[in-house]
Amino acid sequence: MRKLTSSALFAVVLAIAVLAAACGSSGSSSSSSSGSPASSDKALNGAGSTLVAPLIAQWAPDYATKAGVTITYGPVGSGGGIDAITSRTVDFGASDAPLSSDQATACKGCVQIPWALAATVVTYHVSGVPNKLKLTGDVLAKIFMGQITSWNDPAIKSLNPGVNLPGTHITPVYRSDGSGDSFVFTSYLSAVSPDWKSKVGASTQPSFPTGQGAEKNSGVAAAVQSTDGSIGYVAVSYIAADSLDEALIQNAAGNYPEPSTTAISAAAAAVTSIQPDGSIPLVNPPASAANAYPLSTYSYAIVPKQSPKAEALKKFFTYAITDGQSFGPDLGFPALPSSVVSHDKQVIASIHS
Amino acid sequence: MATETPTQRLPLSGHRRTRYGDLALRGITGLAAVVLGLLMVALVYEVAREAWPSIQEFGASFLTGTEWNAVTDVYGARDLIWGTLITSLGALLIAVPMSIAIGVFLSELAPRAIRTPVTMLVELLAAIPSVVLGLWGILVMGPFVAQHIEPFIIDHFGWIPFLDGYPSNQGLFMAILVLTIMVVPIVASVSRELFTNVPSDLKQGSLALGATRWEMVRSVMIPQVGGGLVAAVMLGFGRAIGEAIAVTQVIGGSNSRPDSIWGPADTMASRIAAQYAGTATHLQRASLAYLAVLLLAFSLIVNLTAQLIAGRMQRRMRGAA
Repeated sequence: MRKLTSSALFAVVLAIAVLAAACGSSGSSSSSSSGSPASSDKALNGAGSTLVAPLIAQWAPDYATKAGVTITYGPVGSGGGIDAITSRTVDFGASDAPLSSDQATACKGCVQIPWALAATVVTYHVSGVPNKLKLTGDVLAKIFMGQITSWNDPAIKSLNPGVNLPGTHITPVYRSDGSGDSFVFTSYLSAVSPDWKSKVGASTQPSFPTGQGAEKNSGVAAAVQSTDGSIGYVAVSYIAADSLDEALIQNAAGNYPEPSTTAISAAAAAVTSIQPDGSIPLVNPPASAANAYPLSTYSYAIVPKQSPKAEALKKFFTYAITDGQSFGPDLGFPALPSSVVSHDKQVIASIHS
Repeated sequence: MATETPTQRLPLSGHRRTRYGDLALRGITGLAAVVLGLLMVALVYEVAREAWPSIQEFGASFLTGTEWNAVTDVYGARDLIWGTLITSLGALLIAVPMSIAIGVFLSELAPRAIRTPVTMLVELLAAIPSVVLGLWGILVMGPFVAQHIEPFIIDHFGWIPFLDGYPSNQGLFMAILVLTIMVVPIVASVSRELFTNVPSDLKQGSLALGATRWEMVRSVMIPQVGGGLVAAVMLGFGRAIGEAIAVTQVIGGSNSRPDSIWGPADTMASRIAAQYAGTATHLQRASLAYLAVLLLAFSLIVNLTAQLIAGRMQRRMRGAA
């Protein structure tokens, strides 16, 4: 018996050594060829946002037949995508949050191209409570700060007359990894609640004062589904995919629009000013857009201005913001407004090798 | 002169071949040891270099700081250190008695027919990838414990501080349970080995003097293997401190200390695993590396302590015998 275990141990050690050697060599090869992960212009590698992953999954086969270029995309999360393009292990990154100033500095001359329109949706799971509960930004902020702790709180009751709310304890669920959805969610709460803005603020990795963290959209969806009394936020496509309950959030006009493509488009139509860093913050659009969804967001492609694959990237991005948009509505992504498309074309033209 | 050399070489050649073999052996093994040493040095250097901005910014106050905030760019590890210690010690509290019991059972009491399969099962448990254990923790153990075990304890023992609160399928308690499952096979298989190696004349002798099985285990076997047992426990402790993935999956990644054992918390390793990909600021990345430096230091201390205790107990035993 002892002989068996020691030889097994030896095999395990050997396997680990081989594995470590393989990792080491792959790591060193990718760093030595930094800047051009794959030598050919017939393949582009990207990584980042899980939110746009379903859209890119539609683009990839279509673009392969149209242009003969293979797109490989790793849905590692917005933060992971920013890291990947900063270290140049991919040809492009994708993030639902614009680069922070630290990230922009580290990325050394990266541009961000808004290439998809989407939304973050508040989801909850409380047994005995129907879908489409109404909430305001203020109540949401109080829930996530631990000031409202049970579902039958008068603040929630008064927004939902006629709904029988149980006294279940509220468990807020948030993203524990760097996430564009966290950025959208906390940007919205910062916009509507001064208290939230001063105590927590907006970030891809904010310091939530209460609740529990879960990894990636799928982790939040799973945590919400398995915890009675939970409330969290996920990218819009996960609502339908996991048949989660969605909360309707009050917009600046006082309405409770569903996160439909028209409501997201309405938000995009209301906000046209482009920030100096190339981002277009969409959360909490002005009251003039009566039916705009308040947690709408652009998702950005992030790419170094100077890239050895500039030509291939330019063609792919042009495809993504024009022909590629036609795949969007079926997946919950409305088409980009024409003003953004023309802005994008200028940014794309500035990419060079 | 020229004609003599070939005749002198001939008898030497046999020796020389064995000397080459020796040289090769020494070279290969030495190289392996040196490479490992260099790897260790490079690792510590690289992690420390990455952590340097945070070490400069926060210094020792990193150990006592309670805030971990990427918005204000302030980082402190107190609650994470606390979480690491509580989960690891909590896991040991459950795992050690259980493991020693398994060790005694398998070496002394179990009939031969179940001894082998159970031994193999215990060793198999050690081979389960931690991410699988974590998934099982999320999908199976978490909901079960939160629905059946936690409400019972809260209802009946909620008056004990730290045992009140709300049931949750993610939190400190879940992390402790998952770590327990990871620690048990390590400690159990080492202690089984130790108990099996206790000289049988000692065991037989004590039985012959009229000791019961329990007295034999307590006063002969456990003292005999004391040092090894401490080393085994420390090995398990080291495992628990460093475990990241499975803990990340079940601990609930909270930013503060929970009010009860059921609430979400976080550990150093789990924080690194959750946040390293996709940090919002440069300083956040450096602070995560700072956590890694602390973890390295923790493991070093645990290992050295284990060796010290094991060595001392062995010497004391030899002195007694």
